Amino acid sequence: MKKQLVHIKGTKEGLVLRLDDQCAYADLVEELSHKVSEGSIDGIVDVQLHLGNRYLSNEQQVELINIVENSGSMQVAKLHSDVIPIIESNEKLITEQYDTYVGIVRSGQVLKSAGDIIVIGDVNPNGQVEAVGNIYVLGNLRGIVHAGIEGNRDAIVAASQFKPTHVLIADSIEIMSNESPVVQNSSEQLFAYLNRDGIISYERLQEVRKIRPFFNKVKGGS
Amino acid sequence: MGEAIVITSGKGGVGKTTTTANLGTALALQGKKVCLVDTDIGLRNLDLVLGLDNRIIYDLVDVINGRCKVHQALVRDKRVDEKLFLLPAAQTTDKNAVTPEQMKSLIDELKREYDYVLIDCPAGIEQGYKNAVAGADRAIVVTTPEISAVRDADRIIGLLEKEAIEPPKLIINRIRKDLMKNGDTMDITEITTHLSIDLLGIIIDNEEVISSSNKGEPIVMDPNNKASLGYRNIARRILGESVPLMTLEDQQKGMFKKLISIFSK
Repeated sequence: MKKQLVHIKGTKEGLVLRLDDQCAYADLVEELSHKVSEGSIDGIVDVQLHLGNRYLSNEQQVELINIVENSGSMQVAKLHSDVIPIIESNEKLITEQYDTYVGIVRSGQVLKSAGDIIVIGDVNPNGQVEAVGNIYVLGNLRGIVHAGIEGNRDAIVAASQFKPTHVLIADSIEIMSNESPVVQNSSEQLFAYLNRDGIISYERLQEVRKIRPFFNKVKGGS
Repeated sequence: MGEAIVITSGKGGVGKTTTTANLGTALALQGKKVCLVDTDIGLRNLDLVLGLDNRIIYDLVDVINGRCKVHQALVRDKRVDEKLFLLPAAQTTDKNAVTPEQMKSLIDELKREYDYVLIDCPAGIEQGYKNAVAGADRAIVVTTPEISAVRDADRIIGLLEKEAIEPPKLIINRIRKDLMKNGDTMDITEITTHLSIDLLGIIIDNEEVISSSNKGEPIVMDPNNKASLGYRNIARRILGESVPLMTLEDQQKGMFKKLISIFSK
């Protein structure tokens, strides 16, 4: 008997179509369109496509989804593959990494990071730090900071001495003048974040765990 | 083989040229062979402050373009015998007349003959600055306690730290004791923590600095002046001596000394 290329399994989340990852793509397409057309289900069910160790280009993904959805009774909820290309993986590594800069960001200098950045030193007035992720300054922050420069609205800026002239998060900008008494009067370590209304707000550093709980990557602790 | 030190500030008018003239003279008075190089092409001043302007025959651009030999262009300061020389800047052209590479080979040539080559840098961060820094081994940043000068010093330090030279040192010029004491200007610790580089020395503001510059006679020649003492201390620190920092407070005279000073009048 010929090896089955498409396995159908029922789970709590709906149907799972497990697609063989060894055969040729053309064979897979053929068998998949055959399989989805023979079933007779009432209504529309969610299905997940599991690709195993097969990497599909965007066009191929769309093709598979179309085949499944053209049957009229299934809707693809999720496409899952165990592999990603090296380029994508490297990009992911970069955006999730921490850059560490030891030194002073002086007037006129621009420090950029593709992920999060930790500055061990001061950021002087007119010095600028830009990061795709978060910015942490272990020192005096008296310059310009832009966190989430590619639009990450969850990004935060934290500093030991929080006295910046400008704070930018994603596409919001805040000029630190006398209007923010929290920052002016606080001797505590502060951080800036975008609140739910899209306005830059300040809190004590302790509050990060409540406002951005998903930052925590360390599991356990006693 | 001597050492080339560039004196720079970013902002104009904080006292680069005066500092160059005085430090050069002070080093020469200590017995070192010193050559001062004015790189402010088109706006030369160093010759005036030294009082050597009427003795210039050739200038820096002439040397670089091969119109004369280096020793022909050097102007000797007669007051400090055979120790102090000036290579004046050209006045008829501008900063683009020389390249950093040409400056570097010129400074290297001077370093062979002199113990110290002091390079007076023009204000700004453009071509003139790049020329001045090209041949230097060390850098001295001059600032005043004004916020604008400190901000520009911060910028220039950032640029200097990218060059392959030793970390720059700081001179705080024109300190007005009364203003600093009242908190009307930044104080010394504020400036040094802000810029976080080593302090080489401080110069207390003194009217005689201006009048002596106008006469073409560096203030260092006057051993009793407070500003002169500041420059002499810096020169000794450059030579490797450890000299304590000048205090801003005037020495409190005791009762007995006051009496003596009354009678000695």
